[in-house]
Amino acid sequence: MKPEELQKLPPEVYKELEEVVGPENISEEPALLDGYAWQPTFNSSPDLWVPRCAAAVLPGSTEEVQAVVRICNKHNILYKAHSTGWGTFNAVKAGGIVLDMRRMNRIVEIDEKNMYAVVEPYVSGISLQAELLSRGLNCHMIGAGCGASLLASATSGVGDGWDGISMSYSPRNVLGVEWVLPDGELLQMGSLGSHGTWFSGDGPGPSLRGAMRGWCGAFGGLGVFTRVAVKIFNWPANGDHRSEGLMFDYLPPLPENLKVFMVVFRDRGSFAEGMYKIGEAEIGYIQCRNALGMILGGALPRFQRKLPGVPAMVEMLKSMQFCLTHIIAANSPRELAYQEKALRAIALDSEAFVLDMGQLPLGGLLFWGLVKDSLPPLIFRIGGQFSSVFGHDETWDSSILLNRVGQEIKQKWIDRDGMIDDLADNAWMFLQEDGMWTHCEELILYDPREEKHVRSVNNAIAEAMISAVEHCQGPGFMLLNPMVRRMLSPMMSHYNFWTKKLKKEFDPLGLSDDVAYCSEEDVEEADIDLENMTFDIPPEELARIFEERISVIPAPREMAQ
Amino acid sequence: MALTDYVRDMRGCSRCSSCKWVPFNQVKSWRNAMNCPAITRFNFHAYSGSGKMNMGLSHLQGRSELTEGAADIIYHCQLCGACEVSCKVYRDDIDLTDVLLELRATCVEEGQLMVEHMAMLDFLKRDDNPLGEPKSTRGDWTEGLGLKDINREPADVMFHAGCRFSYDPDLREIVRGTARLLQSSGAVVGVAGGEESCCGGRVYELGYRGEAANYAEDMLSRVKASGATTLVTGCSDCYAHFKYAYPRIGKELPVEVLHVTEYLDRAITEGRLRLRDSVPMKVTYHDPCHLGRMSEPFICDWEGDKLLRPMSLKRTGKGGIYDPPRRVLSSIPGVRLEEMERIREYSWCCGAGGGVLECDPEFAAWTAGERLQEAISTGAEAMVTACPWCERLFKDAAGESGLDLPVYDITQIVLRSTGTR
Ligand SMILES: Cc1cc2nc3c(=O)[nH]c(=O)nc-3n(C[C@H](O)[C@H](O)[C@@H](O)COP(=O)(O)OP(=O)(O)OC[C@H]3O[C@@H](n4cnc5c(N)ncnc54)[C@H](O)[C@@H]3O)c2cc1C
Ligand code: SF4
Ligand code: SF4
Repeated sequence: MKPEELQKLPPEVYKELEEVVGPENISEEPALLDGYAWQPTFNSSPDLWVPRCAAAVLPGSTEEVQAVVRICNKHNILYKAHSTGWGTFNAVKAGGIVLDMRRMNRIVEIDEKNMYAVVEPYVSGISLQAELLSRGLNCHMIGAGCGASLLASATSGVGDGWDGISMSYSPRNVLGVEWVLPDGELLQMGSLGSHGTWFSGDGPGPSLRGAMRGWCGAFGGLGVFTRVAVKIFNWPANGDHRSEGLMFDYLPPLPENLKVFMVVFRDRGSFAEGMYKIGEAEIGYIQCRNALGMILGGALPRFQRKLPGVPAMVEMLKSMQFCLTHIIAANSPRELAYQEKALRAIALDSEAFVLDMGQLPLGGLLFWGLVKDSLPPLIFRIGGQFSSVFGHDETWDSSILLNRVGQEIKQKWIDRDGMIDDLADNAWMFLQEDGMWTHCEELILYDPREEKHVRSVNNAIAEAMISAVEHCQGPGFMLLNPMVRRMLSPMMSHYNFWTKKLKKEFDPLGLSDDVAYCSEEDVEEADIDLENMTFDIPPEELARIFEERISVIPAPREMAQ
Repeated sequence: MALTDYVRDMRGCSRCSSCKWVPFNQVKSWRNAMNCPAITRFNFHAYSGSGKMNMGLSHLQGRSELTEGAADIIYHCQLCGACEVSCKVYRDDIDLTDVLLELRATCVEEGQLMVEHMAMLDFLKRDDNPLGEPKSTRGDWTEGLGLKDINREPADVMFHAGCRFSYDPDLREIVRGTARLLQSSGAVVGVAGGEESCCGGRVYELGYRGEAANYAEDMLSRVKASGATTLVTGCSDCYAHFKYAYPRIGKELPVEVLHVTEYLDRAITEGRLRLRDSVPMKVTYHDPCHLGRMSEPFICDWEGDKLLRPMSLKRTGKGGIYDPPRRVLSSIPGVRLEEMERIREYSWCCGAGGGVLECDPEFAAWTAGERLQEAISTGAEAMVTACPWCERLFKDAAGESGLDLPVYDITQIVLRSTGTR
C-alpha cells in the first residue's frame, strides 16, 4: 500500500508514537486535526482546506523527533514537520502525520560576543527580538510577520524581510544546524558537527546549506530541523521604547540613533536610480517601498473600498507611487548626521523629496511597526487573504521590470472584478545586502470567501509565472503545486528532477512529505492534467500559451531515476 | 444569533496565529509573549481561538462531528477574550469571542455537555448559585452592616455581591469592607441579601441560553423594583455580564452599572472618600479579563459586511475598565504600582473563567501560576486585583505551588487607607 492510501493509523503505530510523546501530545480527533487542515494562505482550492492528516504529534525534544521519524520509517508513514504552520505548504498528504513543533520553543542561547542566537522551531521573531533589543542586538525577521518562526525560514522556506538591506535574508544567516534526517539520523551541520559550537554553517564540519534548502527551501520535504543558530545584528539604541496601545494607537518615541524617512520619487525611473545609489552608499537599516495597496488596505480599508469611484483621488495617489520608507541607524550622532546627509543628497540628485517621519505623529507607528515586524498581518484586513506573484531575489533592474509587468497583469484582473482593487500597486520591494541583490513580489489582495476571487487569483498567478519566464525571470518562489512545477520544469532545466535526485539520497523511502518541494508527480511522465487545474483560462488556451511561449527542453527521464 | 451566523467570520480566518500571542507591539519578553492559556498549555492548534473557529467550520460543513473530544477542547478555554483582542488588531470582520460562545451553545444544543458543568447547573437550579451553597445563607455576609433591604427600603445604590463574594468565607471581610466603603462615601446602599441570585453569567458562557435569560430576567425585575439609580458590584464577572450579555439578550438593566473600582475612583475624585493613611507597599495589579476587555458594553449587532461596521461597534478590548483601578491605587498614599508585562487589553487570564475552574481545576491553577510568576518577577510585594474569582484562584494556586505572594482585593487597600474599621 502506498503511504498516502492509509486511512487511519494502525493502533500499534499510534501506541508507539504515544509512548514517545506522551498521551497528551498525540491526537487523531478529527475536529482537532482539522485545525491543521485549515490553510487558506496560498491555497488555490475555493474551500480552503488541505487534506486532513492521520494524526498530529507534539514532540518536545530532538530525541522525541528522532523517535517519531524512526517509527514513521518503520511503518511506512508519511510525515511533515512545521513550526507555526502557516500556508498550504504545511499540508501533509492524506495518511501522513503532522509534527507540530510548538513544544520546542526555547531560546537555547544568545551569544552576544559572537553575535548569534540558538533557537528551537517555535521561537518567533518577536520573542527573540524582545530579548535582544535590551542587549543592543536585533535579528532578521521575514515579511510574513514577527509571529513566524525564525528557524522555519532559516532552514525550510524563503526568508525575505524588509531589514534585508542590513540583515540579509534567512538562508544567509544560518550558522550551525541540528537536523533530524528523513530516516531519523541526527546530523549536526557546520561547526556544530566538528566542535559542538554553533558559530559557522560552513565547515570545519560538513557544509550542507545548499542541499538543506537551496534558495527557496524544501518546505518540510527533507526531515525535521530541531535547532538552528542564526546571526544576530546591531541595534544601536538603548533597549526598547514602550507606550500603551496595540497598533494605530501605539506611538512610542524613536530612539536617538535611528531615524525614519519617507522618500518620494518622481517616477519609476528615478526610483530605480535612487535605490541603486542608496545601496551604494550603504546607509540603510530597514527599508521598503510603500505600496499604495498595502497602506490603504491595511490602514484605511473603508476608504480603499470607495476609492475606485473617485478617479481624481486615484490619480493623485498614483503620483506618489514610487515612495520608499527608509530607516537609518548609526552608532553615533555624527554617523547619523552623515547618513541623513547622504540620503538627502541622493534624493536631491534623483529629484525626490524627503520627509522626516519622526517629526510626524504616525512616524513612531511606522518605525516600530517596521522594526518589530508587526505590520504584516494588516494585509489581511481588507479582504482576508493575499497571494503573491514573482517573489524573486534578483538584481534591482529585474525587480523594477517585474514591478511594471506585475501591475499590468493585475490591473487586467482587477478590471474583471477578480480581486480587490488596490490600484494595482502592491509590489513589495527592497534592497538586500546594500543592494547586492533585491526582492520583489507583487501582492494580490482578495477575499477567499468570494469564489470569483479565488478563480481569478489562480489565473493571475499562472499568467504572472508565464510572463516572468517570458521576461527571462524565474517564476518565483511559490512553486508549491507539483502540476505547476511540471509545467515550468522544461523552462528551468528540469531543476526539480535534480532536487528529486538529491531528495532520494536523503530519503530513500520518500516519507518526509515533499509535495511542496519535488514530489513524485513532478517527474511522472503522464501528460499534464490541465482539466483538473483551477484556472479559468480554457485548458486548450493555456496549453497553446505554453506551447507558443515556452521553448521546451526535452526531459531526460533518466534524470529522475 | 447562532453558529451559522458566523460562517463568514470563520471562513475569514487567515491562520496567521496572531491570536496566540500578546499583540505583537506589546511583546516584552520571550517568557511573557503568549496570551492564550489554552494553546499555551495544550499546544495543539485546535486549542487556540483560530483552531476553535476551524473546528466550528468543520462541524458546520459536516467534515467532523461534535464529539466528546471536540467538546472537551471547546470547553478548555477560559473565554478570556485575549485571542479576540490580538485578532482585532488586524481584523475587523472576525468576532472571535462570539464564535466561541456560539460553539458552546451548539454543544449544549447537541447534548455534548461536560459532567462537571451539569453538576454546577444542578446547584444553580437548586440554590441559585454555582457553588452548591444553600440559598438561605446567601445574605449572611450583610449581617450588622446596616445595609438597606432593597426589597423593602429605598436606596440610591444597589450593591450586587455576586455568588463568590456572598459565600466564600475567606473573602467575606472583603465584601463587607466594600459595603462599608460605599457607605462611607455617603451613599444609601441597598442589597437584595437572601433574595439575590446568580447573575447567570456562568451559564451564559457555558452555552445554556435559556437559563441565562431566566437569570437576567430575574435580575432585571429586582433592579426595576428597587428604584435604585446605580448598580454597583465588586465582582468583575457579574459586571461584564451586566454590560455585555444582558443587553445582548435584550435584558439591559435600566440603571447605571458600575464596578466598584469605577465607583471608588469617582468617590475619591469628588472628595467623597478620603484616603488618609499611608499603605507603604509595592504592588502589581492584575486586570481581571471580565473587568477589562470582556466588559466592553454591548451596543448593537451589525448586519452585513463587518469591515464597514463603525469602529464604535468593533470590540477591541479598549473599552474595558483599566484606568479607574489604577487611579485608585495611585491615589493611595504609600502604594507604588509596578506593572506586569501583560496588562490592560492584553492581560493574561487568572484561569478561573469560562467554566474551566469547574471542569479542569488543574488547568485553572496552572494558568494562575503563570500569572503569579509574572507578578513575582516585577518585584512587587503583593498582587492586587478586583474580582473574587481571580482572588480565590490566585490564593489557592499560590498556596498549592508554594509561590509566596499575598493577593489583595483593591478595596482592602483602599479600606486600610481610609482608616475605616
Ligand atoms: C501569509 C504568509 C506570508 C509570507 N510572507 C513571507 C515573506 O514575506 N517572506 C518570507 O521569507 N516568507 C514568507 N512566507 C513564507 C514563510 O517563509 C514560511 O511560511 C515560513 O518560513 C515562516 O515560518 P512559519 O513558522 O510560518 O513556518 P511554517 O509555516 O511552520 O513552515 C513553513 C515550511 O517549512 C517547513 N518547516 C517548518 N518548520 C520545520 C522544521 N522544524 N523542520 C522541517 N520543516 C519545517 C514546513 O513543513 C513548511 O513547509 C509567508 C508565508 C505566509 C503563510
Ligand atoms: S488572529 Fe484571527 S485571523 Fe489570525 S489566526 Fe487567529 S483567529 Fe485567525
Ligand atoms: S478565549 Fe482565552 S483561553 Fe479561550 S481561546 Fe481565546 S485566548 Fe484562549
